[in-house]
Amino acid sequence: MKYQVNFFVNEEPVELYVDANKTMLTVLREELDLTGAKEGCGAGECGACTVIMDGKPVNACLVLAPELDGKHITTVEGLADRKGNLSPLQEAFIKHAALQCGFCTPGFLMTATALLKENPHPTRDEIKAGISGNLCRCTGYKRIIEAIEDVAAHTEGGERK
Amino acid sequence: MKQFNYLAPKSLPEALAFLAEHGDSAVVFNGGTDVVVRLRDNLIAPEYVIDIKKIPGLDTITFDEKTGLTIGACVTMNEIGANEFVQKYYPYLGKAALSVGSKQVRNRATCIGNIVNASPLADTGTPLLANDAVILAEGPEGKREIPIREFFIFVRKTALKKDEIVTAIRVPYHAGSEGVYTKISRRREVDLSTVCATVVRDGDDWRIAFGSVAPTPLRLVKTEELLRGKKLDGALIEQAAELAKTEVAPIDDVRASKEYRVTIVGLIVKRSLEALAK
Amino acid sequence: MRTVGTTIDRVDGVKKVTGQAKYVDDIRMSRMLYAQVKRSPYAHAKILSIDTSEAEKLPGVKSVITGDYYKKRGGLYLEDKNFLAVGTAKYRGEAVAAVAAETLDIAKAAVELIKVEYEELPAVTNPVEGMKPDAPLIHPDLGTYKVAPIFHPVPGTNISHHYKLRKGDVDKGFAEADYVAEHTFYIPHVQHVPIEPHVAVAQYEADGKLTVWASCQSPFAVRQALATSFDIPLNKVRVISPYVGGGFGSKAGTTLEGIVIPLSMLNCGRPVKMTYTREEEFEDAYVRQGVYATLKTGVRKSDGKILAQKIEYVWDGGAYTEYGVNIVKAAGIACPGPYDIDNIWCDSYCVYTNHPVGGPYRGFGMCEIHFAIEQNLDMIAHEIGMSEVDIRRVNGLRAGGATATGQILEDCGYQDCLETVVKELEYDKPCEQVAPNLIRAKGIAGGWKSPSQPTDVASAAIIRMNEDGTFMLMTSGQDIGQGSDTVLTQIAAEVLDIDPSKITIRTGDTDHTPYEWQTVASRTTYCAGNAVKLAAEDAKNEILELAQIKFGCSKRDLELKDGYVVHKIHKDKKVPLSTFALGLTLPDASGIHGPLIGKGSFVVPNNVGYDQETGQSPKPVAFWTVGVNGAEVEVNTDTGEIRVLKMISCFDPGKVINPALYDAQVEGAMVQALGTALFEELMLKDGRILNRNFVDYKIPTADDMPELTVRVAEHEEPTGPYGARGIGEPVMVPGAPAIANAVANAIGCRFFRMPIRADDVLKALKEKKAQ
Repeated sequence: MKYQVNFFVNEEPVELYVDANKTMLTVLREELDLTGAKEGCGAGECGACTVIMDGKPVNACLVLAPELDGKHITTVEGLADRKGNLSPLQEAFIKHAALQCGFCTPGFLMTATALLKENPHPTRDEIKAGISGNLCRCTGYKRIIEAIEDVAAHTEGGERK
Repeated sequence: MKQFNYLAPKSLPEALAFLAEHGDSAVVFNGGTDVVVRLRDNLIAPEYVIDIKKIPGLDTITFDEKTGLTIGACVTMNEIGANEFVQKYYPYLGKAALSVGSKQVRNRATCIGNIVNASPLADTGTPLLANDAVILAEGPEGKREIPIREFFIFVRKTALKKDEIVTAIRVPYHAGSEGVYTKISRRREVDLSTVCATVVRDGDDWRIAFGSVAPTPLRLVKTEELLRGKKLDGALIEQAAELAKTEVAPIDDVRASKEYRVTIVGLIVKRSLEALAK
Repeated sequence: MRTVGTTIDRVDGVKKVTGQAKYVDDIRMSRMLYAQVKRSPYAHAKILSIDTSEAEKLPGVKSVITGDYYKKRGGLYLEDKNFLAVGTAKYRGEAVAAVAAETLDIAKAAVELIKVEYEELPAVTNPVEGMKPDAPLIHPDLGTYKVAPIFHPVPGTNISHHYKLRKGDVDKGFAEADYVAEHTFYIPHVQHVPIEPHVAVAQYEADGKLTVWASCQSPFAVRQALATSFDIPLNKVRVISPYVGGGFGSKAGTTLEGIVIPLSMLNCGRPVKMTYTREEEFEDAYVRQGVYATLKTGVRKSDGKILAQKIEYVWDGGAYTEYGVNIVKAAGIACPGPYDIDNIWCDSYCVYTNHPVGGPYRGFGMCEIHFAIEQNLDMIAHEIGMSEVDIRRVNGLRAGGATATGQILEDCGYQDCLETVVKELEYDKPCEQVAPNLIRAKGIAGGWKSPSQPTDVASAAIIRMNEDGTFMLMTSGQDIGQGSDTVLTQIAAEVLDIDPSKITIRTGDTDHTPYEWQTVASRTTYCAGNAVKLAAEDAKNEILELAQIKFGCSKRDLELKDGYVVHKIHKDKKVPLSTFALGLTLPDASGIHGPLIGKGSFVVPNNVGYDQETGQSPKPVAFWTVGVNGAEVEVNTDTGEIRVLKMISCFDPGKVINPALYDAQVEGAMVQALGTALFEELMLKDGRILNRNFVDYKIPTADDMPELTVRVAEHEEPTGPYGARGIGEPVMVPGAPAIANAVANAIGCRFFRMPIRADDVLKALKEKKAQ
């Protein structure tokens, strides 16, 4: 049986008929071809699939597809504007070399975007705790933290002042 | 993940009616952080998944001194951690809630889900157990209140009937009581408890609850008895810590040895009592 | 220099932060099929029968294959494996059958319908036991396997390679020593844990062309392995490696490519995809081999000089060691660490076990052996009453020193690195009791690594000038996150004296980008870098050849400057590079030369093999990268918890091409090392992995990150591009032993096994107290 879901992705309305036994991650990647969110574990442990749902970061792999009805989802594809101008965090990740293989990067960007919205000027420990649901095997995290700190110091809630 | 039917009832009676009809082949679905993983791993393969998040009124936390704290079934861990009453009257419960999983998981995971799962190491189990919380369930025969001590039966087994839904948990209020929550885990962030515990002092009364040291979260009744009404001093604390170790029955697993857990039980009792003695 | 030695933004940054970088699992093709595999539930079992009939009947199932499909064994150095088990299943989780179906759900359902009958066989779950003559044989036909001549299997045993190193006279050395100690360490299996699991798509078309999209480090090595296994000429196999979500060695060989290919051949024209789950990644991608390391050391007490060392490494190679044998060799060549010892006897054994398949992991054996080497050094220092620093000052390599194979090093940065770390860490300050239950202490460890590659492996690069004077650079050195696309671009930009933004780099397509042996061994900056430098120099020379006609002067009077050819003396005489993009147009309107293309081919100069009996060679490797780590830890003596507060790295990278990317590599390596020191172990019981997910296999989070400091001691590598040598793996090597040494310094307990868990700390403290 298919379930009708109407929701917003990156501020655009979407209407789909989905299987109950699919996750939001599968819907985003397979149905909408929004492949920025990645599957690293499928069990909510690595954060590579993090998206922002109704303002809060969640693991897309732990949300059932029918639950999408009525939700507002932001994915990494929605961070830059439509012309491709990067968000302050995206720019900071590049400037600080805060990414290597890049597979975890969309997840970190989503978690960090939500973090700065909620807490525009986090301490280093708050950043560390805030992003600890995202695993990175390449960077050792230092530059990711520095990129977030840089944005916190120069923006208000992740938005340009 | 096998196929199943997804139901999202808009009222409690509707949900209970579904459950009455399909109780044997249905799973109640809340934050999903546990259920989705179990579905994915084919550990469960229900015909119906009943999402209770669309039922109004289950997503609030209320507090008054007479009733205590009432946590609705769909309140998330992060909401508990951020709640003003929790922070003011049950800070250790907030700490426990915020020790669960990651930020992302806590935006979905609920305390009630944590309790209904009945994992021996449920992080929010011990603060509730140490406060003699009451599980509010509703079924075809009406409402039922289950003391948390009677709720946990074994690993992933509770006193909840197949046709019942937990609507809330009530945590009694004891003016002036204080508590300490401790979680020992391999990794500080995003890990399961190797041992978790809550020690509450309520006047001369002590309530001590441990997780991950027995098939269910456990109250250390003998240790509580030993401490009741006595003035705390170093010798008594040592004695309590030693007694506590005899009340637990942990196992060896991939997270730690039995021996380690027993040692940590003594340590947590000691540290918590010292902290609360001040 | 213009760009070498300066930080520029990663050339792949924008694609990666926008989610526009396409990894293999992001590729969606029309009419794609999905593959799944049936896995063995036994560590060692004879396959009596496989019944695929029910699976084949399931609607939507297109093909089911078993080991029968594979006619030939394959393998990089030792041809000992098939992509699906043939005859016996040799480890738990080994693929025994595979399905291709219209959807992933159907493929999964079909796998459940495959019935396999097994007869369980006795399993080997410990390499030391496995070496014994009466151990069950895992590969009874080992003697008939095809093997590269530098490897020495022992037929009739489970030993797939015995590497021997015999330098000097150990008996004499031990006789002269006045202190002799022997210590044994065990390093368990760990896993790479790239955040992107393994994934591949294969499409076979009616004209006989096979295209494979794989998340792999080495498209050419994969192409070779697949062409051999499936008997296809190389011009009919195309391997494409797009963005790779981390490798760390695990994506160096071939894994599931060999499963999707036959399925695509059975469904001509239809692409077949398979993506590992995290659980499959743990059980069926490479693991880092476990090893028992025994070091017997003879020392002159008066000055701490090591006079002799007898070393035995017994490696738990797992069920197939086609790649593992080379790790065992690498460990043998590097056996004593970066120390100048005259008399060495080393045996390094690769042993088959019924464990997951061992393969290359960042460090290629070095992280494992240095956990033993560096703790052993500290223990000896303590036993003879010497400081941990002084024993390294005395024995550590310096210019003119000799390696274990007898190679004389013309230069060596080890001593500089040691002094830098000692100073930065304030190593001389004693350990501190910061609370009744909290002790802080410091530890140091050295390390080295060379590229463990055959002596004659090759790299190529091509650079083409576009009509507007911008360039297309092509190599097949893969950027798996380490930043090689950026560094290789910088090298080419330096030669051509243009801004790096004028160059677009393309890699990873065996039909279009030129040959590269592999992206492993920390060789890309060095080998691919040299090829790129040669290609850019070739292009530069072509430009100057044409320019001298244009300018009417000798090319030695001309230079490239910021996108122009400029006369060295008459600076106002200049023309843009684009003038020569399509050759040169002469005054009579005729053209000469045609489009400008530079090419570069590179093999390591003067690399020679080693003697098979003694392991001796004047230059068996391209270079040695050496360095030192320091760590400060805080141990909680109540709970046993260890927090690493600080880590410092100083290595000799030759020449840093991009400082930010260098630091980033080192930081990542230190935290990865921290993970292995404190958390990580693939817990195996009777061949079963007890923690095959992130719930119970913990890698460090941001919260575990210590304060990280990165320093360098640059001693240029004469054969490296601009003096650079490889660093990606070496910089991980000393991390874990530095932490272990710090823990030992804190609580006076030595840990002969990693990881050092809270549980182990409390146990050790209890035992110490009881003594």
